[in-house]
Amino acid sequence: MPILFRLFLLLLLAPTFQAAAQSVAFSKDQFSENKEGLREAMREMKEGDTEYSADPARYAQALPHYLAAQEFNPNNAGLNVKIGDCYLHSTTKTAALPYLQKAAKLDATADARTHFLLARALHLSAKWREAIAEYQLAPPVGGNTRNGSADALTANDLQRYIQQCRNGQLLMARPVRVFVDNAGPELNSADSDYGPVVSADESTIVITSRRAGSIGGKKDPEGNGYFEDIYQATWTGKAWSRAANLGAPVNTDEHNATVGLAPDGQRMLVYSNANGGDILEANLGGSAWGKPKQLGSRINTRSHETSASYSPDGRYLYFVSDREEGSLGRSDIYKVELESRTPPVNLGSTINTAYGEEGVFMQPDGKTMFFSSEGHNTMGGYDIFKSVFENGKWSKPENLGWPINTPDDDVFFVTSASGRHGYYSSDRPGGLGAKDIYRITFLGPEKQPLLSEEDQLLASRLAPMKQTVLAPAVEVATAQVTILKGTVTDDATKQPVEAAIDLIDNTSGQTIATFRSNSTSGRYLVSLPSGTNYGIVVRQEGYLFHSENFDLPAGAAYAEVVKDIPLKRLEMGVTIVLKNIFFDTGKASLRPESTAELERLQKLLTETPALKLEMAGHTDDVGEAAKNQDLSQRRAQAVVAYLTQHGIAAARLTAAGYGETRPVAPNTNKANRQLNRRTEFKVTGK
Amino acid sequence: MPKPLLLSLLLALPLVGYAQVDTVRASTLPGPQLAEKAYNSGLASFNAQSYSAALRSFDQAIAAKADFAAAYANRAATRYELKEYSQALADYDQALKLEPGNYAGYFGRARVREAQNQPAEADQDYSEAVKAKPDYAPAWYNRGVLRFEKGDYQAARDDFDGAIKADPKMAYAYHDRGSANQKLSNYAAATQDYSQALTLQPDLLAALLNRATSERRTGQLPQALRDYDAYIAKKADNALAFSNRGSARFENKDYAGAIADFSQAIKLDAAYAYAWNNRAAAQLKLEKYAPAAADASQAIKLKPDYAEAYLNRGHAREMLRQADEACQDWRKAAELGIAAGDNYAAAAGCAGEAQ
Repeated sequence: MPILFRLFLLLLLAPTFQAAAQSVAFSKDQFSENKEGLREAMREMKEGDTEYSADPARYAQALPHYLAAQEFNPNNAGLNVKIGDCYLHSTTKTAALPYLQKAAKLDATADARTHFLLARALHLSAKWREAIAEYQLAPPVGGNTRNGSADALTANDLQRYIQQCRNGQLLMARPVRVFVDNAGPELNSADSDYGPVVSADESTIVITSRRAGSIGGKKDPEGNGYFEDIYQATWTGKAWSRAANLGAPVNTDEHNATVGLAPDGQRMLVYSNANGGDILEANLGGSAWGKPKQLGSRINTRSHETSASYSPDGRYLYFVSDREEGSLGRSDIYKVELESRTPPVNLGSTINTAYGEEGVFMQPDGKTMFFSSEGHNTMGGYDIFKSVFENGKWSKPENLGWPINTPDDDVFFVTSASGRHGYYSSDRPGGLGAKDIYRITFLGPEKQPLLSEEDQLLASRLAPMKQTVLAPAVEVATAQVTILKGTVTDDATKQPVEAAIDLIDNTSGQTIATFRSNSTSGRYLVSLPSGTNYGIVVRQEGYLFHSENFDLPAGAAYAEVVKDIPLKRLEMGVTIVLKNIFFDTGKASLRPESTAELERLQKLLTETPALKLEMAGHTDDVGEAAKNQDLSQRRAQAVVAYLTQHGIAAARLTAAGYGETRPVAPNTNKANRQLNRRTEFKVTGK
Repeated sequence: MPKPLLLSLLLALPLVGYAQVDTVRASTLPGPQLAEKAYNSGLASFNAQSYSAALRSFDQAIAAKADFAAAYANRAATRYELKEYSQALADYDQALKLEPGNYAGYFGRARVREAQNQPAEADQDYSEAVKAKPDYAPAWYNRGVLRFEKGDYQAARDDFDGAIKADPKMAYAYHDRGSANQKLSNYAAATQDYSQALTLQPDLLAALLNRATSERRTGQLPQALRDYDAYIAKKADNALAFSNRGSARFENKDYAGAIADFSQAIKLDAAYAYAWNNRAAAQLKLEKYAPAAADASQAIKLKPDYAEAYLNRGHAREMLRQADEACQDWRKAAELGIAAGDNYAAAAGCAGEAQ
């Protein structure tokens, strides 16, 4: 609260100490038997007032003095107001309420602005109806006085607060079904812990903490713990490991905070308060994070850039900035293509409001965005909203509802790829101290119980016949993304390999994105939003490429697939299955989706002139063996024909059809039969 | 007297009537008339429910007169009462051989075949009876019941129509036509039929319960609740009635009232698995998850293949933070036929896959 208002408050409250019948003044008349105590309390009051009226106010420092004075005289209306005001500016805002309620009770003629403070405390405590009543008793001030200073409280502001309370009433009346769990002492500390970001499969979490042990050991002058550092923990299967400080070079003796994590956990976005607030990027090399690097001037300006999230393919960055150019409000969400030179694009008025937007997070399905906003139908401060990009536009942002959102600021919300869990920080009762990280488990719509009934339908029988009344099936919303993860190793040595992983849209033949497996562990993770026939190619110099195919129709539900990839070196006799070669059913005509794989094969042969290959066709055991034999032969020949037509000498290639004679799995089910229907090549010369 | 027995007797009356119609007056006949006398004696014993004596008399009548069709028919009826179904069947066969096309013979044999659990053969005989005597309502009615039990509700409704046409005062036929209409989703017609049954026979209380079901299907919840109340006011010892009223209260979002009814059903019949399951459902609505899980467990104990109870217990256990147990319950519900169980398990991230 700006100084003018606080001085105003001090002046206004002074006479009411005397006037109020129930308010007990700090006077010798009232405390004639404890003059020493009165003197000490007055001293505390004075010290508190010094901090309270400073510019900027030092509420945290004023509060202990006021509390000491209050212990001596709990029934002074003005003191209770000041304590309430201090709490309203602390991390435990709801603690203000009993003091402000007491002040109102002690002083029936309380100043109108006291009603505003009480309204704020009631609002922040989700006491909507009472808050609205108090807001209505608080007339606008400052707009026409105080020379337009920042302490202005306009009629519009009051109306907005009242509207927020009404939003809160509506949202609280239909709470969302979630479990909100404190993430526990492994992640949380007695100081503020916030800004959680998780990898798509929830195996890694990175947080910001103000706990003791920060690099440099600097403390916040406002008493809000230490300078921020970034910590990391991993999921052990049942619980999080203890969060460990990432150390240098990610953490420095200044503030270092998390912003975002790539779905595969190999790149991290961090916040730096340099240059008015910038976003930097750090890469994971093996098990160590590299030094965060600037993201460039298109993203980082002199304005304040605070939050960002990668698109699942890593091509785009969604970020928050309060830059003036192209802005629709105080701070907005923008989108930028990282590898281009085009300027960032404001996401538009469906998402961005005249107020602040913060904490953007793009889900690994590539279309669901979570963000916080002070606009839309917030119930107070920032609320978290969800919008889905479909048919070329963003859907109307949907408030995630009570109890995820509260009347205070709710920001920096992220979810797992499955959409089952969300993480955010909140300062709520029962935590380990200040802000804590909480895990939200979405329970979905209420699960309808089923009843059973029977009737005695035949008068002559009176024999009950079972009749079950079934409730309609609930729609189960599952994320439409497949998480593919595993480890890339050398097939011979079993050692991890750092390899490039190309994600290809087989329909267009375009490479959508390229990822790298971790150099130390060989681990990789790729998010595959549904609706595309994906070719996955794992490649590394000195090895033959490895291909996988994931044809995910639109609407395919969330799945996690673990696929370890053994890369084979180019040696005689080595066989590679070409999973992205497709034929028309029962025919030997190559489908267009095969082009990317065929081009890869052509490139391999071109780059390795001595290489000779046998192309082999295989079928399952459905149908006549002779026909299968013929089909496999013709398919192998079709691949050879493509390659020779594209400049590969025929002498380097042979075609062999093995029909159903060499299955790689028993032909006992659909999945195995699919494995057996394959095209592969064998190295016959190098 | 239990209603099935009462009806059996009611339905048996035409047979006895048949025997009475054919009673032979000895004074008008020449000769010793041993067969006729024995036959009449047997008939008197039958009417006095002395079935063993009746059997002896009909034996004598047949011994005296081997082609005495009526004696065979009445001995068959006697043997039916004595539950000697094979012999009863043989006697009806003989009676029909001696007097082909007699509707009462077909009707009686149909009942024997029903007793022998041969519904197809019984249906055939009722059809012959209906053909032989189209205005004989019980044959239509009984065939309607068989067809209802077979699940052929359209044919059953046609038969109950036939019964009502033959006897417009037959309350049971209205009642069961109401049930056939209910099964055919003609709820308004069903409600009308049950109402007519009640008009004709106000003590046919089952009609109140069944009318309530039809009313619920047409959204007439207040009327349904009134019918349940009327039934329970007259008959307070039927666990099924309390359980069904509980379900109606549940539908009316009166979960506390529903729990009271399900509890009363359990008090009346502690082995009534449906009431336990339904109480679990109502507890879930009131967010009383531990009692809900306990009730569902009891339902499962009573009925180990109870899919609905597994599903409900899964819901309760999820809210009790027993994630693994909830997953097991949803999977089990799916295994027992409620496919939604697998959806719930998948949405909650349960390990493993649908079976």
